[in-house]
Amino acid sequence: MEWTGLVKLLSLLSRGALTSAQLFFYTLIFSLPLGLAVALGRMSPKPWIRGPFKLYILVMRGTPLLLQIIFVYFAPSFMLPEGYRINLDRFVAAVIAFSLNYAAYFAEIYRGGIESIPRGQYEAAAVLGFTKSQTFMRIILPQVIKRILPPVSNEVITLVKDTALVQVLGISELFRVAKNESSRVFSTTPIFIAGLFYLMMNWLVTKVFHLSEQKLSYYQ
Amino acid sequence: MEILRVENLRKIFDREVILDDVSLEINKGEVIALIGPSGSGKSTLLRCLTLLEKINWGKIIVAGDTMVDSATGKPCYAPEQTLRIIRLKLGMVFQNFNLFPHFSVLQNITEAQVHVAGIPYETAKANALQLLKKVGLEDKVDAYPYQLSGGQSQRVAIARALAMKPEVLFFDEPTSALDPELTGEVLKVIRDLAAEHMTMMVVTHEMAFARDVADRVIFMDNGRIVESGTPEKIFGNPANERTKAFLQRFSDTYG
Repeated sequence: MEWTGLVKLLSLLSRGALTSAQLFFYTLIFSLPLGLAVALGRMSPKPWIRGPFKLYILVMRGTPLLLQIIFVYFAPSFMLPEGYRINLDRFVAAVIAFSLNYAAYFAEIYRGGIESIPRGQYEAAAVLGFTKSQTFMRIILPQVIKRILPPVSNEVITLVKDTALVQVLGISELFRVAKNESSRVFSTTPIFIAGLFYLMMNWLVTKVFHLSEQKLSYYQ
Repeated sequence: MEILRVENLRKIFDREVILDDVSLEINKGEVIALIGPSGSGKSTLLRCLTLLEKINWGKIIVAGDTMVDSATGKPCYAPEQTLRIIRLKLGMVFQNFNLFPHFSVLQNITEAQVHVAGIPYETAKANALQLLKKVGLEDKVDAYPYQLSGGQSQRVAIARALAMKPEVLFFDEPTSALDPELTGEVLKVIRDLAAEHMTMMVVTHEMAFARDVADRVIFMDNGRIVESGTPEKIFGNPANERTKAFLQRFSDTYG
C-alpha cells in the first residue's frame, strides 16, 4: 500500500475512532452516576424499592447489549401509542442503550464497594453527629471509590471494545469503518490497524486508572 | 448534677432479652466502670445510650432532654432535631477505633467539628492540635491511620471524640484490641481525663484500672445490673454471689 493510501486510511479510522470515543465518554458521563443511583435503590431496605432495581439489573445484565441497542433504537418508533411515536437519532439511541446497560454493571460494582465498608465507619460517623448524607458523601463514598477502581477499570476497558456494537445501527464507528475499508481494498489490514487503535485507547484507559490508583494510594 | 438518666431500659434482639430493666444515672464529673462477663449486655447498653441501637422499652434522658420515653406504651424517640442535639452531648470511643482511613489524623479530628458543629476550620485545627498534644501525638498530625499503632489509633480516636466537647464520653472496651504494652498508653489518657473530671463511662475488662480510676463500678450479668457501688465496695466486699464469682475468676486468672 502506498503512503497516501495509508494516510487516507488512518484519517478515516481516526474519524471512526472519534465517534467511538464520543460514545465512550457519553456513556461514562451518564452511566457512572446512574449506576450509583441504581446501587442505592438495589440496597434499599424496602422490598418494593429494591425489587424493581433487582429486575432492572437482571434484565440489563441478562440480555445481550446488542439486542438492547436495537430495542432502544426501534422501540420508540413502534411501541409507543400512536401520535407519540418518535424516531430517535441513532447516536442518541446508542448512548441511551449503553448508559442503561453499563449503569447496571456499575451498580453492582458500587454495591460491592459500599457493602465492603465496615459498619464501624457508619457508627463512628453517626456518633460524631454526621447526617446520613454527610456520612455517605464524606466518609463512605471516598473509600468506596478507592476500592472499586480495579473492577471499574475492567468495565471501562470492556466499554471501549463494546462501542463496536453500535455498527448494528449503521453508525460509522471505528470497527465499521475498518470493516468497510477492508472489503473495499480486499485486505484485512484496516481491521488489524483498527485493533491497534482499540489497543491504544485501552492503553490510555489503563494509564488513567493506574494514575488514579496511585493518587489514592496515600492511605490504606 | 445528673447528666444522664436511664429508667427500666429493655433491649430485645431476635426475641432474646439482652438488657432487662436497666436503670442508672451518670452525674457530672463521674467516672463509671461497667464490668461483667462477655455477653452480659455492657456494650449493648452503651450502644443504646449513644443511639446506635434502639431500645424496646424504657426512658433515657440526656442533660434534661428526653431521648426516648415509653410513657405512651411503646418507646417513643424524640424528633430528629432533638436527637441531633443529644448526639452532640455524647461521645463514643470504640474497641476497634473506627478512625476514618482516608483522612489524616488532623482531618479525623477536624472533620466533625467543621461539618457537624460548624466550627471554623482554623479554630477546629487549633483544637485538634491541642488535643493531640494532650494525648501525646502532636508529631502524628499529618500521619494516616494505617501508619499508627493500635495504641496511637485509640488515642487519636479519643481526641476525635473529645473535639466535639461531649458531656459524657463512653468507652466500649477501649483496650481490648491492644496488647498489654499499648493498653497502658491508652489507659493513661483515660486516667488523665478522669483527673480533669471528664464524665465517662468505660466498659472494661481491666479490673485494676476500674478499681483505680472509677468513682463507681457497675457489675452487669445477663442483661441486668447486679451490683453497683464504689470500687472499694465492689472489689473489696461484693454483696452479690455472682459478682464475687466473677471477680474471683478474674483474680484467679490475672493474679
